[in-house]
Amino acid sequence: MSTPTDSIMHLLQFTDSTFPVGTFSFSNGLETAAFENIVTDAASLREFTESQARQAAFTDGVAAIHAHRAFMNSDYELAAEADRALFRFKMNAEARLMLQRMGKKFAELASHLFESELISKWLEDIKANVVPGTFPVAQGLAYAAAGVNERDLFCAHQYGVINMVLSAALRIVRVSHYDTQKILFDLAKQTDEFYTQAASMELKDMNAFFPQLDIIASLHEKGNMRMFMN
Amino acid sequence: MTASVPEVDFSKAHEMQPYLTEPEQMYVGAPGKHGYLKLRFALDSTGKSILREIDRRVPLIAQQELYFDEELPGMPCLYILSSGGPNVDGDRYQQDIIVEKDAMGWISTGAATKLAEMKFNYSGMIQNITLDEGAYLEFMPEPVFPCRHTRFICDTKLTVHPTATVLYSEIYMSGRKYYGKGEMFDYDILSVHSHGHRPDGTPLFNEKFIIEPSKLHPQQLGVMGNYEIFANVIVMAPKEVFEKVYAEVTPRIDRENGIATGITTLPNDAGLLFKVLGSNTGKIKKEVRQFASKVRMAVKGKPLPEEFPWR
Repeated sequence: MSTPTDSIMHLLQFTDSTFPVGTFSFSNGLETAAFENIVTDAASLREFTESQARQAAFTDGVAAIHAHRAFMNSDYELAAEADRALFRFKMNAEARLMLQRMGKKFAELASHLFESELISKWLEDIKANVVPGTFPVAQGLAYAAAGVNERDLFCAHQYGVINMVLSAALRIVRVSHYDTQKILFDLAKQTDEFYTQAASMELKDMNAFFPQLDIIASLHEKGNMRMFMN
Repeated sequence: MTASVPEVDFSKAHEMQPYLTEPEQMYVGAPGKHGYLKLRFALDSTGKSILREIDRRVPLIAQQELYFDEELPGMPCLYILSSGGPNVDGDRYQQDIIVEKDAMGWISTGAATKLAEMKFNYSGMIQNITLDEGAYLEFMPEPVFPCRHTRFICDTKLTVHPTATVLYSEIYMSGRKYYGKGEMFDYDILSVHSHGHRPDGTPLFNEKFIIEPSKLHPQQLGVMGNYEIFANVIVMAPKEVFEKVYAEVTPRIDRENGIATGITTLPNDAGLLFKVLGSNTGKIKKEVRQFASKVRMAVKGKPLPEEFPWR
């Protein structure tokens, strides 16, 4: 059993940008958005990041919450269904690839860190192509195993999405650390409302309407820009 | 003797919870407010595609099939019409479209679909589109206009054999831009769910979008940006077909024409998803038709004909 102190330490470990699941190699489309002059400064970066966070909240965030509940109830089938449902709801091929790469890495790490039958079975099923192995489900399972509660898991998920975009931004958009930290700080204020809504949603309720992000992702998918993997 | 019309009920959908009041005008599902359409395309004994079965309830109307496609003269073409004008508060619709083995069909609407202002309830539609082995369907309705305070929910189930191809397109306007002081993104909610399955029930993908302009303005960067109109095209097709089409389409941000297009593959090798953003209906429709033409070329070896000048 984790003590509350253990849980906070694990939470910090898993959200750290050096945690080796590969977050640094993705930009969530920002590379293309910057190249196309859609994101050019702090103001446009803020809107772009907010859209990314919201899009993730009601897809990835919902799947992560259900995976967390699956772990708490030792319900492997629910975890597998959250995984498959998220994969079916991800309309963008590069995003699916990213979630699977990071998910498998996190699953491997988690099965190394925790003695959990459920996580070990999930990793086996990923390797056998029985489940897609998405990153938000890995987060849900691992944070639950670490004794982190559902709300804190959701916060970690949102933090991860926002931080991924902002870290990439420092390398490709004309913004300063002051700009990105202010955006990160301000966007924290929307997380509570997102959590309340996401926690009330079933897997079938996942939804996203971000066609401009989808188009930007598609330009990257078929383009030859490759500083970031998406 | 006609079969009873299936119930269309979205009262369990969490996003529709604020819109479940019984209208003060004609009640939900009253005669004339509960449209039903069943269309079944099949081959006749000579191998020609025909509309084998049609069942309809007001306000939905479909007349007989016509063969006006100059590139595919053997393809039955059908317009869906509504005798009731716009979709109004408390309207319910269901459309069941079946294309049997090796048959083909083309469906559109006679004019744009207007979603009228609503005060109490919502307008809901269920579509079941089923394609058997080797079947082919182009479903390309005219755009949807959501007026001020409209609420619309649509659930489209596409059940498609791995050898069949369906092209399912939708165009959503921002509203009646030139009406009164202009209505742009003044509607309450659009909830659109399209999901693909195999005939054995295996689920392949779910695309669900909920647009509530009062909660998040659709012109935020990342949502629609500065664009006003959105087209979504789902193609379910065999892998060799969709890979060919995917290779031929180049997504682009075309500032000169105010158009942005994107393409990606659907989960579980189900097919393709093509999206267009723009602010000019004619240009958007042209993009959709050009894309549809590539799909038709990959399956039938023929392009789409020139659009009629009055469309």
